[in-house]
Amino acid sequence: MSSKNPDRSVAAALASATCALLGTTAAAPVDAQEEPKWDFNTSILYYGEDEDRVQDLSFKSLSRRLFTDDRVLILGLTVDTLTGATPSGAIRQGGPQTFTRPSGNAAYTEAGGKLPLDDTFRDTRVSIAANWQQPAGDNGLVNVGFSASKEYDYLHTGLNARYAHDFNKRNTTVSSGIAYARDTIEAVGGAPVPLTPMLDVGDLSNRRGDDDKDVLDVVLGVSQVINRDLLVQANYSFSRQDGYLNNPYKVLSLVDSVTGDTLSRQPAPQGGPDGQYLFENRPDQRTQHGLYTQAKYNMGGKVVDVSYRYVTDDWDIDSHTLDLRYRWPLGDASYLEPHMRYYTQTKAEFYQVSLDAGESLPAFASPDYRLGNFDGLTAGLKYGWKTRNDNDMSVRVEWYTQSGDVPAGQLIGNQLSRDNFPDLNALIVQFSYRFSR
Amino acid sequence: MGSPCEVLLEAESRHAAGEAGELVAAEAWRIEDKFSRYRNGNIVHRINHAAGTPVVVDDETARLLDFATTLFGLSDGRFDITSGVLREVWTFDGSDRIPSPDAVEAVLARVGWAKATWEAPELLLQPGMEIDLGGIGKEYAVDRCAATLREHGSAPGLVNFGGDLAVSGPPSRRDAWRVAIEGQQDDQVDRLIDLRAGALATSGDARRYLARGGVRYGHILDPATGWPIPDAPRSITVAANTCTEAGMLSTLAMLRGAEAERFLDEQSVRYWCRR
Repeated sequence: MSSKNPDRSVAAALASATCALLGTTAAAPVDAQEEPKWDFNTSILYYGEDEDRVQDLSFKSLSRRLFTDDRVLILGLTVDTLTGATPSGAIRQGGPQTFTRPSGNAAYTEAGGKLPLDDTFRDTRVSIAANWQQPAGDNGLVNVGFSASKEYDYLHTGLNARYAHDFNKRNTTVSSGIAYARDTIEAVGGAPVPLTPMLDVGDLSNRRGDDDKDVLDVVLGVSQVINRDLLVQANYSFSRQDGYLNNPYKVLSLVDSVTGDTLSRQPAPQGGPDGQYLFENRPDQRTQHGLYTQAKYNMGGKVVDVSYRYVTDDWDIDSHTLDLRYRWPLGDASYLEPHMRYYTQTKAEFYQVSLDAGESLPAFASPDYRLGNFDGLTAGLKYGWKTRNDNDMSVRVEWYTQSGDVPAGQLIGNQLSRDNFPDLNALIVQFSYRFSR
Repeated sequence: MGSPCEVLLEAESRHAAGEAGELVAAEAWRIEDKFSRYRNGNIVHRINHAAGTPVVVDDETARLLDFATTLFGLSDGRFDITSGVLREVWTFDGSDRIPSPDAVEAVLARVGWAKATWEAPELLLQPGMEIDLGGIGKEYAVDRCAATLREHGSAPGLVNFGGDLAVSGPPSRRDAWRVAIEGQQDDQVDRLIDLRAGALATSGDARRYLARGGVRYGHILDPATGWPIPDAPRSITVAANTCTEAGMLSTLAMLRGAEAERFLDEQSVRYWCRR
């Protein structure tokens, strides 16, 4: 194709011809950007408890595909790699203790004076979620989705839907959401019959197959813009779990009524527990009510975010969470965000540190420290910055410390001189990167 | 303008919006009345019915004719305001009514800006020739209207005449003007563009074509041959400082057919092309 005009000069020649035509120059040079279609939020998180307890390395990705008319597809993927050990529920003893592993095909021994841990805790969990969000009418927003996760002994599948409606020139938003999940617990070696003893290696006579639970969650919320610097919101949540709610790996030590020591037992030649331990049992229903309030206040670029959550349930656990964040901008492109969180809960009605052999067996009992009385404190700092191509990066470091106690009335004899509710300390490090395409 | 025209304004009051809207409408109607080839008695009508006699034109028309002359040169004769008569044989209605080569040849004899004598303020066309400023007029009107908003000091606005648009300034209550570029179907949106300053223009119309024997004939005609430009993209959207520049760049790119993207790349402009 022959050309009298070198192609490159066309735009320049056109610009001066246009200037002559319009008699003016443009007000400002063109600024047009195609809106990105994908938004990716990725992070790597390390969570590590001290004393060789749980370590989790978690990779998370949340992708949002933006369509016109504010329609959004949201895809989530999380991969967790868990290693370490969790307390088995048995109490400390002066001497070593031997247990059968959850699989039922081996035994292990915990040194004397130490908190018995179950170190078979090793798993990879993959979670996926997909949601579709779109406006409904002029002031409504609908969001529907599903979620699923799989780990070695657990399968979760769920559906969720949410509707939000704006009122009052979009200053008030009322929302309601519902989620239903069906989870299957595929306990290693089979879920034990509740309150039956831990048996010798190879004896699976008290094991059953898989169990299920259903979880229904309902949330009703309202958020209100008070003025250009203050946003408040509150919501009420209801959750009902039905089905198998036990932890199939937790055992209670059966103890002497006077000494408080675990009753001994003669293990079989192929191995087995040398103490008497019973598998826990929880009610097969749990109903929770929660109230959450949050306020975000912008003080000339510095943002204070404070929230409080109260949850009560029919297992008698009442919890309070107070969360405080303060975002402190450092110039235009970076910020520091200190974070403090305080959590406290009362124990479940059936929380038991051990079972007194002199008394009749209760209908429900669990030694799980997460059902006990405890407080947790999180303190951390996040530093975030914008990269040269306008992407967001942040690093967060947090410490978590938890301490609890066993109600004095539950402690018998030698238990009084032992630490029955060990502290937990954890380090959390997270690196996040957010970018658009 | 032959298409829906709108102005989006971030005015403080209904009254201010109405006032600015009327100013824009007045300017748009002035340009339409003056340069539409469908109006009787305007300058274009007089030129097209001069029957071989010279016509003296006003300043504004002279500037448009100068501009058309520049474009004729920049496009090696492919952008030609006298090519409108080809519409007598080409109707792009999605059918298979391809005109006969003889019919095209006959009309082509009346096409060619090089055959016109333009020496401001006098224009002389050969008998039977016509000019059509439709290829420039809409973009020109958009720029004039955006300038009107700026001159009037109104709140920031976006002037959109059938998809060719310019902003008078960045919006104050949000980050940018959000412009959706229509896809192949009516409701489908191809892409979203955030516009803070400048203009966008789109050439190509997915609904205006002819098809026969598996060959698709797009509606961009080559005045040299009288036939549609082969291998032209279905649509090209260009971002530029003014709507006129954006519109001309997208048209010039269309006229390059298969070379459209290469041409636009060389101009270092932002564009979005769909084939």
